[in-house]
Amino acid sequence: MASLDYDGAAHLMRRMGFGGNPDEIDDLASRGREGAVDYMIGYNQIDNSAMDSLLLQSFDFLTPPVDNNQLNNGEIRRWWFTRLVHSKRQFEEKMTLFWHNHFATSSSKVQDFLMYNQNLTLRQYALDRFDTLLLKVAQDPAMLVWLDGTTNVLGASNENFGRELQELFTMGINDVVTGQPNYTEQDVKEIARAFTGWRFNTVRQGGTITYNFFIQANQHDNTSKTIYGQTLNFSGEDVITLVSARQATARYLVWKLFNFFVYPMTTSSADKATIDKFATIYLNNNHSIKTLVRAIFTSDEFFSDRAFFSLVKQPVELVVGAIRMLGGVYNPGSNINGGRTSNTLSTSARNQGQDLFGPPDVAGWDFNLGWVSTATMLERFNFANTYVNNRNTTNPGIFVTNDQLKSITKGSTKKTVKRFFTRLGPLDVGGDTRKMLQTYLETGDNGQPVTYVNDDATVDKKIRGLVHQVMCLPEFQSN
Amino acid sequence: MPVNRRQFIKRSASAVSLSLVLPKFWMGGLARGQGIDATSRKIFVVIQMAGGNDGLNTVVPFTDSRYAALRPILGFKESELKDAQGNSMILGSAPFGLNPAMTEMKSLYDSGKAAIILGVGYPNANLSHFLSTDIWGTANTNGGLGSGWLGRYADQKLLGQSGLSAVNIGGSLPKALFANKVVIPSITSFNAYTYQTDERFRGDRNNQINTFHATNTRDFPVDSFAKAISEAGVDAADGAAQLQTAIAAYTSTVHYPVTGEATAQVISFANTMKMVAQIVTTIPEANLLYVQIGGFDHHSQEIGTAADNYTNKTLGQHANLLKAVSLGVKLFYDDMVEHGLADNVVLMTWSEFGRRPNENASHGCDHGTGAPLLVVGNPVQGGKLYGEQPSLSDLDSAGNMKFKVDFRSVYATILDKWLGADSQSVLGASFGNVGFLG
Repeated sequence: MASLDYDGAAHLMRRMGFGGNPDEIDDLASRGREGAVDYMIGYNQIDNSAMDSLLLQSFDFLTPPVDNNQLNNGEIRRWWFTRLVHSKRQFEEKMTLFWHNHFATSSSKVQDFLMYNQNLTLRQYALDRFDTLLLKVAQDPAMLVWLDGTTNVLGASNENFGRELQELFTMGINDVVTGQPNYTEQDVKEIARAFTGWRFNTVRQGGTITYNFFIQANQHDNTSKTIYGQTLNFSGEDVITLVSARQATARYLVWKLFNFFVYPMTTSSADKATIDKFATIYLNNNHSIKTLVRAIFTSDEFFSDRAFFSLVKQPVELVVGAIRMLGGVYNPGSNINGGRTSNTLSTSARNQGQDLFGPPDVAGWDFNLGWVSTATMLERFNFANTYVNNRNTTNPGIFVTNDQLKSITKGSTKKTVKRFFTRLGPLDVGGDTRKMLQTYLETGDNGQPVTYVNDDATVDKKIRGLVHQVMCLPEFQSN
Repeated sequence: MPVNRRQFIKRSASAVSLSLVLPKFWMGGLARGQGIDATSRKIFVVIQMAGGNDGLNTVVPFTDSRYAALRPILGFKESELKDAQGNSMILGSAPFGLNPAMTEMKSLYDSGKAAIILGVGYPNANLSHFLSTDIWGTANTNGGLGSGWLGRYADQKLLGQSGLSAVNIGGSLPKALFANKVVIPSITSFNAYTYQTDERFRGDRNNQINTFHATNTRDFPVDSFAKAISEAGVDAADGAAQLQTAIAAYTSTVHYPVTGEATAQVISFANTMKMVAQIVTTIPEANLLYVQIGGFDHHSQEIGTAADNYTNKTLGQHANLLKAVSLGVKLFYDDMVEHGLADNVVLMTWSEFGRRPNENASHGCDHGTGAPLLVVGNPVQGGKLYGEQPSLSDLDSAGNMKFKVDFRSVYATILDKWLGADSQSVLGASFGNVGFLG
């Protein structure tokens, strides 16, 4: 059993979750590498009752009778951000986010109550066999609406799902190892025919709403189709089984998991060998996502130098991590009995380029440098400013208290800056840069030098400013 | 255990590598007209219509014998090609009509300020949004890899110029503007574009700004994420204040619609064009502007509303978006006229592909190929059609139109005839002159 040090445990928390405080990181480190990963993956065993209570107090739609108006644009986002910050089952949230990006569906076209329902489907099957997850997503109302499944009929098929199923959800346009094309335009057309007639209905009963998938037989093309050179009367479910078993799918899923959780992949032969190593695990383990991700997170690749801080933080990671790592607070408020609510985290993440439930298109978000523009950088900096400067701790919103900041602050500027580097990372920042921040602590208004004293007034002004500046470092933008 | 310097600040392993040199954009402040000869300005505005605009319902080939058969529900009859006021949308004596929503574009066409290039595409068209958008953005038909065509233009012609010479209106930089050397700012709203510090302690603001500057102007290795991020951050913070001051000087009598006066998309795009107007009229070196309008991927419900079962061609998603483009461009054009810049501006629309001639059963169309592209401005030899409309009786094996004009020749025409660049070096090869700029 490999050991796990503080940096490694923090890395695991940032990647498998959204970052943690020192207690959480220490606890994870004490479990060793495999133990820590098993703990994070076995999240159903983790007590999440505190979050469950908070959700019930904060969201009217969690208590029947439910009306779809309650599941609106702002509310479903406030719900998910509350989970992201407060859940002790962090990997459940991160894996759901991975699948949300992978099966990117957007509230720009799909009603928010169906987007919420899709989120429940994603998290229910997040670690299942890939075939099962893919089938459940394909039959889920949100996807049927998003990619026009509901109007895909015998005799005039709609190619949207047939194309994106292959291009984005399973194999990619070209095999990520060989570069060979994975399908033809004819395959797109034939696959589209296999999914004709796929529909859902809505059942309202006893104050709850459920959605049921069914196939409208007289709109389904029940004749033979030729897909990847094989001719059979393929049903949609047959197609899913067929595509899930392809080596190109195994490779593409590994490639996506590595890019999201480990490091940016290149087309080098070493990276291709890595892809095939893990693709084999998928193929040899009945396409189990759980087995595959366990192998990835316990791997030497995941803990290599190349992996640490190699990704640009997604906006959601930045805003949620800022709360979790620093010991700040996100009070979502409650709309029960007409209370006030806060959607600060969702709004800022959206302005930084990542609107949960609203990816830009079916290919999902553009990662790493895709997050970086002058507008989004300003939003990152301004989020940090808003966070550290909210002194209203009564109303719903995000804040960090003076007491919390004081508990991290030390008597010397050097130790103080280092402590904040650790809490907000641990960030690997050189001495020269650390000294720039120490100088900031020792500079008063109008640029005059002052003696640093860690009293309440300094905490409220300069320490808050210090946190803002640390969150503006390029190093802080990395995960 | 001490950790080594990590990948983030080492060379990035990412396949997309941008080596960014500190731009001179904000150094020395905005030129504010010093030494800039306004009459020589060549402003170029690119309008990306994202999703695959249905060209056949934008410029309607109503005399093509196959059009009605392929578009039984979506297709326009000749008698339907008139706008809400009853004015004909037919383009002179040519057998084409503009979609009825585009009444403003029609008036620009009739007064010789807009030209239409028919049948634009490229060989072996790719029907993936993302690949085809990359192909158009990079002008690289072999996989769409590399820098953007306008990024390469900016690296050649704009690097070293002081002031703000190029702006993207939007939150993420489009592929077309990916450059190797210059940083092109992206702006979503002028209000949000400032570096904020604690209002309670204004005396500390300069300390924060100085600290921010110091930590973000460190040397990072070429190709590292840290380098790209720090440069974007500095560019943003430094440029923000200067931009706010500059655009505060904008005045205009042109009325861009506000809430309640039009649909959300029409208002949104009009205000995007207003931002372009605010920038070009107050910042004399700002000559390359890029905007986007999305939502054109009409696989279903392209026309009409629920009330008419998606059959009313004068209403619906596509009509609404075309109205947004048409009105937005016209308001912007009027603003240029008011500011004496009408002779200095050329606009171009583009979309990553057209749509399938044969409509589907969802009242939409799947992805297609060759589609028309619009170019607008006083310098344009407008009121004419360029290129050639692909015949609907000669479709390819996938049922798509055969393109007639390579999009790179449209780019070449703009680069050579308007931007004073060498199209061959920007595009990597020679493409013909389409003719809309003489």
